[in-house]
This record gives sequence, C-alpha cells and structure tokens, in this order.
Amino acid sequence: MIKRLIAAVTAAAMLLLTACSSSTVVLPKTEQTVITLSWWGNDSRNEYTLAAVKKFEQMHPGIKVKCSYSEWSGYESRSRVQMISGTEADVMQINVGWLPQYSFDGKGYYDIEQLAGTVDLSSFSGQLLEYGRRNGILNAIPIAMNAETVYINRGIYSSHGLDIPKTWDDFFEAAKVLSKDGIYALSGAEKSIWLMLIAYAEQKSGKKIFNEKSQLCFGEEEFRMMIELYCRLVNENVMPKVEDFKRYNIDNQVYAGVVAWVSDALNYFKGPMDKGMDIIPVDYPAFSPENSGEGWYAKPATLYAVSKNTEHPTEAAMLLEFMLNSDEWADLQGVEKGIPVSTKVREHLESTGVLKGIQYDASQIMEKNTRISAMDSKIENSDMFGNFTSSCDQVLFGKASLEQAAADYYSLISQLYRVAES
Amino acid sequence: MRRIRKRKQSERKVMLFRIAIILGFIILITAAITTVSRLTIRKSDEVLSEKVVSLTASLNVQMELNLNSYLSRMETIATLAFAEEDAYKYDATNPSNDEYESINREKKITEKLNSLCIMENFVDYGIVYRNNRTVGKVSNATASTFGDRIFRELSTIVTRQRTNDGWAAGFEGDFKRIYYVKKVHENALLFISFYVSELDNVFDNPENMDAMEIRLVNKDHDIIYSKDSEEIGQKLPEPIAERVKDKISSSALDDEYLVSVNQCNDWLVVCSIPTRLILVEKNDLTTYFYLITGVAAVLAAVVGFILTLWLTRPIKKIVVDLADEATTDKLTGVLNKRSFEEAAKQKLASEADEHRAMLLLDLDNFKGVNDTLGHAMGDKVLEDTGAILMKSFSSENDLLGRVGGDEFCVLLSSPDKTEEQFMTYLEYKCSEICSAYRDNYVGKDGSYKISASIGAAVFPKDGSTYSELFSACDAALYHSKNRGRDNYSLYEPSMAESEAKKQ
Repeated sequence: MIKRLIAAVTAAAMLLLTACSSSTVVLPKTEQTVITLSWWGNDSRNEYTLAAVKKFEQMHPGIKVKCSYSEWSGYESRSRVQMISGTEADVMQINVGWLPQYSFDGKGYYDIEQLAGTVDLSSFSGQLLEYGRRNGILNAIPIAMNAETVYINRGIYSSHGLDIPKTWDDFFEAAKVLSKDGIYALSGAEKSIWLMLIAYAEQKSGKKIFNEKSQLCFGEEEFRMMIELYCRLVNENVMPKVEDFKRYNIDNQVYAGVVAWVSDALNYFKGPMDKGMDIIPVDYPAFSPENSGEGWYAKPATLYAVSKNTEHPTEAAMLLEFMLNSDEWADLQGVEKGIPVSTKVREHLESTGVLKGIQYDASQIMEKNTRISAMDSKIENSDMFGNFTSSCDQVLFGKASLEQAAADYYSLISQLYRVAES
Repeated sequence: MRRIRKRKQSERKVMLFRIAIILGFIILITAAITTVSRLTIRKSDEVLSEKVVSLTASLNVQMELNLNSYLSRMETIATLAFAEEDAYKYDATNPSNDEYESINREKKITEKLNSLCIMENFVDYGIVYRNNRTVGKVSNATASTFGDRIFRELSTIVTRQRTNDGWAAGFEGDFKRIYYVKKVHENALLFISFYVSELDNVFDNPENMDAMEIRLVNKDHDIIYSKDSEEIGQKLPEPIAERVKDKISSSALDDEYLVSVNQCNDWLVVCSIPTRLILVEKNDLTTYFYLITGVAAVLAAVVGFILTLWLTRPIKKIVVDLADEATTDKLTGVLNKRSFEEAAKQKLASEADEHRAMLLLDLDNFKGVNDTLGHAMGDKVLEDTGAILMKSFSSENDLLGRVGGDEFCVLLSSPDKTEEQFMTYLEYKCSEICSAYRDNYVGKDGSYKISASIGAAVFPKDGSTYSELFSACDAALYHSKNRGRDNYSLYEPSMAESEAKKQ
C-alpha cells in the first residue's frame, strides 16, 4: 500500500513539475519571397493592379509583391535612374522605347524565353513577340497595341453645323467656326501633337522619319513642315500650345477634338462621356480621306519585362504569367491598357462582353487601318519632341525664323541619331 | 430468509453511505479546483488585459511615429523645391511676363521639380499659380479632380501658420490621394501628393497583430487610410468613433473593443480590435482551465471511489455482521424472537393476497436431552432444528424464528395456492417436520427420543393479529402435547376454551 501511495505521489509531482516548467517561446513567422513590381498609370490602373496583386498574393501565400507606381509624368526619368543604378523592379511595365535604350544587345532585361516553363507564350504571335525582342532575345511581352488617335466631340461639331473632320484642312475650316466660341477644334499633349505632326510631314513629303534601319530620313525640310503646321495650328486657333493643354478643358468642352493614345481613351473621355458628351474616335487625318493612316504609327502600348538582376526569376515568372494570361487579371484590367494582344485574354474578354466602348472602337480603327506603320521607338524619345517644341516656340514667339528653327533642330537631332544616306 | 433481507438492507445502507462520501468528495474537489481556477483566470485576465492595452498603446505610438516620420520626409522632399531659385521667384500671374520667357522658365522649373521627386512614388510634385497654371509633375488625376479651381482649393489646405503649409485628403470625397501644400508666395503654392496606399508600409503592423485594425482618420472621423481599402472615405465605424470621441491620446479596453488613439497633425491614428479577438487566447486558456477542472474532478471521483471502497470495506463487514447479530439467533440461524415478532407483525399487517398460517413448534423432552445427553447435544438439537426448518420452509415468503428456549415459530405464506391446497400444504409441512425428528432423533437402543409437537393456526380465521394467532398456535400446541406429543394440531376454537379451563 505504501509503495502504491509513493508511486502515485511521485507521478503527481512529475506531472506538476512538467506543467510548471518553463519553455522557450518561438513566434512563428511566415517565410515569404519578396518580389517587386513597378508600373506607371492613372488612378484606375493603380487600383486594379493593386487588387490583382492582392489576388496573386492570395493564390501564392509564399510570395509578397511590393509595388512601386506613379503617374507617367516623370516616370521615364525615374525608370532611367532605377535601370542605371540597378534598383529596378523584378517585374516591370516598360515602354517600347526603353528596349533599345537599356537593352541594346538584348542583355538589358531577362530573357523571358528562359522562363517558358512558367510563362505561356503560346497566346502571343511571333510577329507580336518581335516587338519585345532585342538582338533575337525576348526581353519583353507586349500587352496591347497602341496608336495616337483623333477623338472628336461630335456634339460640339454638330451643334456648330460641322461634319466630322477627315482632312487637315477640315480642322482649319472647323476652327474658323469654333474659335468664335473659344473652342479649339483640336488639342493634345506634347508627344501626341509631335506624332501627329510627323504623320502630316510624312504624308506631305512621302518620306518616313526613320527607315527600317532606324536611320533618320527626315531633313530640315520635313521638320520645317512640322514646325510650320504647328505654328499655323496655334496661330489660327485650331489648337492651344502644347504647354497650355489642360485635361479639364475636355470636360469644360473647350476642346472639340483631342489627339490621344488608344490606351488613354477611357482615362481621358470616360468622365466627359459619363456627363453625356458624345465623343467618338475618328479616322486618322490625311490630305485626302482615302489615305487615312498614312504617316501614323502603332506600337505596343506597354510591355512587361523582367529584371536581368532579379534574384527570384521563378516567382517573377509566376507573376508575369498571372499578368499575361490569367482570367483574374484580365477581368480586372479589362481594356484599360488597350485591347489585349494575347489571344487567350482576348477570347476571355470577348466571352465576358468587355470588348466594347470608345477604347475598343479606337483600337478597331487602328487594327483595321492598313496604312498605319509599326513605330520606331526612337520617335518617342523625349529629346526629340522636347527640343522640337522649343523650336516651335522660337518661331511662335518670333525668336527665330521658320527656316532657322528647322535648321537648328535638324542640326541638333542629326548629331544624336544616325542619318540615312540620301 | 428474513436474515438475508436484513443483510441486503444493511448493504444498501452502506452503499448509500459510500455514494454519499464519493459525491461529497467530488463536489468538494470540484468546488476547490473551480474556485482556484476562477481566481487564477480572473487574475490572469487582469494581467493580460493590462499587457494587451499597454502593447496596443505602444503599437499605436509606433504607428504615429511612423506616420510622423513619413510625413516629415515628404515635407522635407517638398521643401527641396525651394532650392531652385526660379521655383520661388517666378510668378506665372505677373502680367508683365514675356510669354516665351515664361514658357522656358516653366520648363526649367518643371525639369528641376521632376528631378527632385524622382525616387518617390509621388502622384504630384508641382507648383500651381493663382491663375491655375501649373508647372512640374502634375497628374491627370489631380487636374481632373480640381479642374480650374486647383489654386483656390489647394489654398484651403494651408492651415499651419508657422510653416505656411498643411495636409489634406478627401477633396470632394476623393480619398485616393493625400496632399501636402506649402505656400511659395502670394500667387503660388507648392503641392505634392501620393496615393493613400503608400501608407501600407507606414502602417504595416506585425504579423502577430494581424487582426488589429489600423486607421487614419481626419477630425471629422472620415477614414483616410485603412488596410481595408473599401473603408477609405467612409466614416469611422460608430462603436470605434464613440470610443475616440474628444480624445487625442488614449487606450482603453472594454467588453467589446480595445481602442487606442493618437494624434498626428490634425489626424488621428486609431488602432482597434474587437475584445473577443484579442482575448481568444485567453478564452482558450479558460477552456483549458475548465477542462483541467473537469479532468481533475473525474480523477477525484475515481480516486475517491477507490478510496471509499477501500476504506469502507471493514465498516461494511462490521455493519453487516452487527445487523446479522441483531436479528439472528446465532445457534440456529433463524430470526431471534424480537426480530421474528417484528417481522411477523409487519407481514400480517400487510395486505398481500396470500394464505398465511403460523406454526409453533416445541421440542418434546428437550430438558431430558440436556440432562441426559448434555448441553452440547441440546445445542446440537437446536442447531439441527434450525436446519430442519430452513430446509422445510425454503421460500422467501416464510419467516422462521426461535421464540423460546426450545420453541420455534414459522409464519407460512403462500400466494399461489387455493385455500384447500394451502390447508393440505400446511398439514403436510407439520407432518414433515414431525417425521424429521422421528427419523433422526431416536437412539438405536431407545435410550433417548427427541420429537416435536406443533400447533398451527390459520390467518385470519384463527387470529387476525400476531398475538391472536400466536395464542391460537399455543392452544393447538397444548392440544398436541396433551395428545401425547410428537404430533401436530390445527387450531380449533374448542382448544382455546379447553386451555382457558385449564388455566
């Protein structure tokens, strides 16, 4: 009996000691691979991208995506600093013009074909993928095609008894009527007007600004045409100076026409259209309507690239695949970046009835036009159009003659770009 | 039979006693453990609550410091614009400006401002003039939001007199961006903005505090920032708003919420969490405590049961033995006189549908046996008598008792016989007992002979009470004795008269 009692007491004591003994507290922490994603865009792009990233993170709890984003203004400089300093994001939205700038030999970005096990490229045609190749290496995947397009506030035009303009002269004629009410027949931001003026000069001269070897073909004469047209447009109140272009004047119905990217159609016009304005994309202006599209350029709206320095290529590829091919991302993105070029995404959007509205209509004008050309990315370089605007201002404000301004501009540009032999 | 019944009664009493002890033990142990547990839980609740409030207050202060640090950094970057002379000297509203010069100066300012804000996720970093002309990085979103009222609207954000600046969010219900505005001169304002989601990193609370809701609200309790982006622009939920009303720095825990608030500029950083969520571990602990209490009570019951069985076993034996001794004649094994009388009276008083009769047995010549064969033999005969009676009356319904030195009484009952069958049975039993003595107690040489005389009476015909029935038996026995012993007689009223005459 005593033995039993001793055994029982010992067992109880051991139990008590076990219960009371201290132990090291270890706080569990979820291990995550952190990758970065960068883009530029407006409010709506930021909102849906953040929402899509959250979905991606929910689907892949082991991956945390840090986002870096901003509006376009100043983004180009920021991207340059990041690329040069090696602080670029793992997955990036890039502009087509950055490919030659940062990946002259195709080694500036990750070779996406190395990620083909994760990224499905089958829904992109070889022709489209060419836009993202440098030196045969697939550096980026295009999301949608884009082109500067002319949008007309049909309500303003018709209320002034004007037809939809189709030629350059139509705009000058319309301005004679509209300017009486302080309305501009046309307007646009600096780059949009630059590209429109190139179209004019190409139509008039029959020359391409760059040839297929990326050599500058325009000379003083062609740039003179462009400056001349710009000054005429401003002086005859067809459009405001590019420095004076204000988005809110679309809402205020000060601008009856706007030159803007296909991908900006919703961004620019959704608000005014929601207020009841009748705004439509129209054919590209030309000297005669049958030549519409000549001199105008299409390019990938934006592309996705992966950093050559990424430490997590697999995770970056998973995110890229989600952004390129998933229904979840497609549903959130819709046609905000333009009409997606991925056949898979396009089929999905068609089935869900998303492919409609002003942005879709603008993209249809671009896709159906047979005269529109593939853009040489150099055309978008800011030093080209920034200096061009300065030259225009010199003429506008009497600081230089038309010929002198064109000569000075050509002199500057011909030093920066290879010039084609005449 | 009666003895067995008595024994069972005693055992039952002991069992009840045991159950009472076990239940008492369980109740006592459970009450003790529960009391200790509740006191422990209450104390731990107090300590836990204090710690949680303290931790939350610390978290809130950390969040407020993070926000302050972030906003200060933004202000510093904004102020860098004053390093560009044109940025603070140029006035786009000056009517004497040369337009061409203005364009170039504005381009220069824009380039400078763009380079200053390059590495931050600014939406805007620009200067707006009283004529609503802007330079620098000015987003389409801001242009759309403010339109041609941009200077006027941004002017209202400058609320701090000392530094001529201010912060704001929620212009016309648009809480997507947060604006910082600083006066450059009478006709110019420097403004920056960033997306509210930039504060994700500022308010990135630890993983283990994931359930904590962290919000930034303005003085009207409009939510400027929340991890749940759907909430941004909404009013602070009423239960939280009530708890932070008129407070700029406090932390409190009540039954529903733990709320901590701290002021940063004109805004409030509000951390809150439903009490049930933070005390979920405590609730688990309480459940654990009560589980332990339950297990301890069960263990106590088992231990108590075993101990009680162990401790009460000798008591049970003593009680049963004492009960036996109190009711049983030790020599013969049948009930003693008192117990028999008590049991017989009880049985006769009951209204069972059965035939009953009493037999009174007296040993003939018993004194002679004692005298000639000794007391040992006498005791042997008495002992055998008990055995004979128990063998003959084995039914549980029958009561057997020793009512005198050599006198035994039987109360016979039969629920399943007719009256005629019962009388036959009665006589058969009387005869059987007499025969039992004749067969066993006659010496081979005729040196001794022990016999039994029996008087029997039927209830209630011959007596409706114990004493009446016993008297009838006694009269019948007397009659048997007079008839020469070693026989039995069934009572008849004439026997009573005869006995009366004799007396």
